[in-house]
Amino acid sequence: MRYFTKQQGQKEALPVDLEPLGNDKYRLTVGGKTYEVDALMLEHGTMTMLVDGQSYGVEFEENGDEVGVLLRGQVNRFDVADERRLRLRAGNAAFSVEGKQLVTAPMPGKVVKVLVKVGDEVKEGQGLVVVEAMKMENELKSPKAGKVTELFAKEGTAVENNAKLVVVE
Amino acid sequence: MPKIRKVLVANRGEIAIRVMRTCKELGIATVAVYSEADRAALHVRTADQAYFVGPPPSRESYLVQQRIIDAAKQAGADAIHPGYGFLSENASFVRTCEAAGITFIGPPASAMDAMGEKTRARANMIKAGVPVVPGSTEPFASLEEARVYAEKIGFPVMLKAAGGGGGKGMRKVERIADFDSSWRAAKSEAMNAFGNDAVYIEKYLEKPHHVEIQVFADQHGNTIHLNERECSAQRRHQKVVEETPSPILTPELRAKMGEVAVKAAKAVNYVGAGTVEFLVDVHRNFYFLEMNTRLQVEHPVTEWVTGLDLVALQIKAAEGEKLPLTAAPEPRGHSIEVRVYAEDPARNFMPSPGKITYLRVPGGPNVRDDSGVFPGYTVPNFYDPMISKLSVWAPTRREAIARAQRALSEYVVKGITTNIRYLKAILAHPEFIGGDYDTSFLTREHEALLGVEDAKLSEMALLASAVHAYQRDQKRAKTLPSASGQGGGTGGVSPWKLALRTRR
Repeated sequence: MRYFTKQQGQKEALPVDLEPLGNDKYRLTVGGKTYEVDALMLEHGTMTMLVDGQSYGVEFEENGDEVGVLLRGQVNRFDVADERRLRLRAGNAAFSVEGKQLVTAPMPGKVVKVLVKVGDEVKEGQGLVVVEAMKMENELKSPKAGKVTELFAKEGTAVENNAKLVVVE
Repeated sequence: MPKIRKVLVANRGEIAIRVMRTCKELGIATVAVYSEADRAALHVRTADQAYFVGPPPSRESYLVQQRIIDAAKQAGADAIHPGYGFLSENASFVRTCEAAGITFIGPPASAMDAMGEKTRARANMIKAGVPVVPGSTEPFASLEEARVYAEKIGFPVMLKAAGGGGGKGMRKVERIADFDSSWRAAKSEAMNAFGNDAVYIEKYLEKPHHVEIQVFADQHGNTIHLNERECSAQRRHQKVVEETPSPILTPELRAKMGEVAVKAAKAVNYVGAGTVEFLVDVHRNFYFLEMNTRLQVEHPVTEWVTGLDLVALQIKAAEGEKLPLTAAPEPRGHSIEVRVYAEDPARNFMPSPGKITYLRVPGGPNVRDDSGVFPGYTVPNFYDPMISKLSVWAPTRREAIARAQRALSEYVVKGITTNIRYLKAILAHPEFIGGDYDTSFLTREHEALLGVEDAKLSEMALLASAVHAYQRDQKRAKTLPSASGQGGGTGGVSPWKLALRTRR
């Protein structure tokens, strides 16, 4: 089984080959290195993992396609897809910042300001929408330079987590 | 004054629970108030009685004075404890309570008036001979006037909301080009947060320490201080880590600052718990910043080191009892508090409300967690992102840091993102360990505090993420047999067979 894992903040997805050996054991190959992993899944999305005699308590947190991995106090976020899902998603650019980019609400909140309108040319990092949550105002920025082609955000409205706000093309 | 029998706590979250705990120990009945968003909150269950006060936004519930008073009357409460935030520093609320014959557990309205508006407080302190940070004492009539003043005292300057607190309506302005936009932003934030858009200007001190003195006064004119708290680990002017004793204070400086703090409190005839905040510059000169006329978020560190229960002292002061001590106890050991926020440091501290799907709270010797959350609780979007305060005590500062680290390593919150890892990075930072960190520490070291990523752990996390994806796919294949009758991925087992297996 081959998975492609892209760590948040990195551009490239890494192929990881996984071979189940039964009895909660796996052989994993990544970047030419092979690991024997004993990974026992417990309740609440907790996993106890043994690799080379090292013991790791792992906590997972799923958020759509993304999974947060908490391990010895460190959080890494990955977007993991198998080949089939990768092909399905090739169109919506989840693995790159090329093409059409949809900016969504990173948390439930209230749209307090819309800083752009359809047709505006924006720079990478330019503020698009200000969303307020938990008494803090957060400016959501454009992931790329381009043109605002769609605008869903309306000032004064409440938005759910992952709600569509702006499309930059 | 008669003994207090029933207290309504006009607040929510950890502080409401904190106050109720002491009430219980003192044999005092407790009343909670809750908004629509807080029906399931822990403070509602912790109280003996609970009253609904309105829709989720605090302006329509927790801040509506009449609703709180009505709830108190209905419940037969003879006193109100405001916690911090909300109505805790609202002089008109104190008067409303008095008019309703309800004891307000806190300072008199006159003391709040004198200290509430920061510009008025500065003027009062100058009169009392307390050193203040150079800046304006009057609000400005116009933007132009403010800009001229800022130029006169010289950049960088600090803009501050006169009615403010919690870092809202506060901006550091580096140069004149940024002044107008910062001014407008500060005013709009101040209006939103405090219903008062008055903003004043202070000279920005380079690399100052934020050191505050806890004061306490009874109704008989006795005022003491209970030592200091070092609160220089701040982000957006919001405290993140607090400790006592301050690693930069000598016993002499402590005595001097304590004396000035007591003088400040006496100047406004203070009663109850209050905090006098100072900035201490690189030459160890100190300047009055403001006085918080309430119990503060960071009060547990003072409780650890003095052995006192500040809420119990507040209640006794409100009942008219004399202070049980005449001077600050010698600091006993060391205490550190960290604030656990529902936010994502890696994404510019984006708030992270939502459901807590799993929670494991630290324990062990000399560890205290003041929290308002529980597993399954949904952290609402309407209130501040602080969800818990973890504090520890140890004989020495070094041991306290190690204990705080250990406690944080036990803390697991799932479902929402928290700043726990960021807090660990702060406690592990050489500057923090060295004990001479100023208020710019967190901003200056932002990258370092986020970037301590262990490559080996990232590698292990990557492996874990692949195993997780595989197990997820297996589970999906088992629970969702495909329509073609081929049990997707389980080796062609028919859904009928799967159904039979589960029945057995």
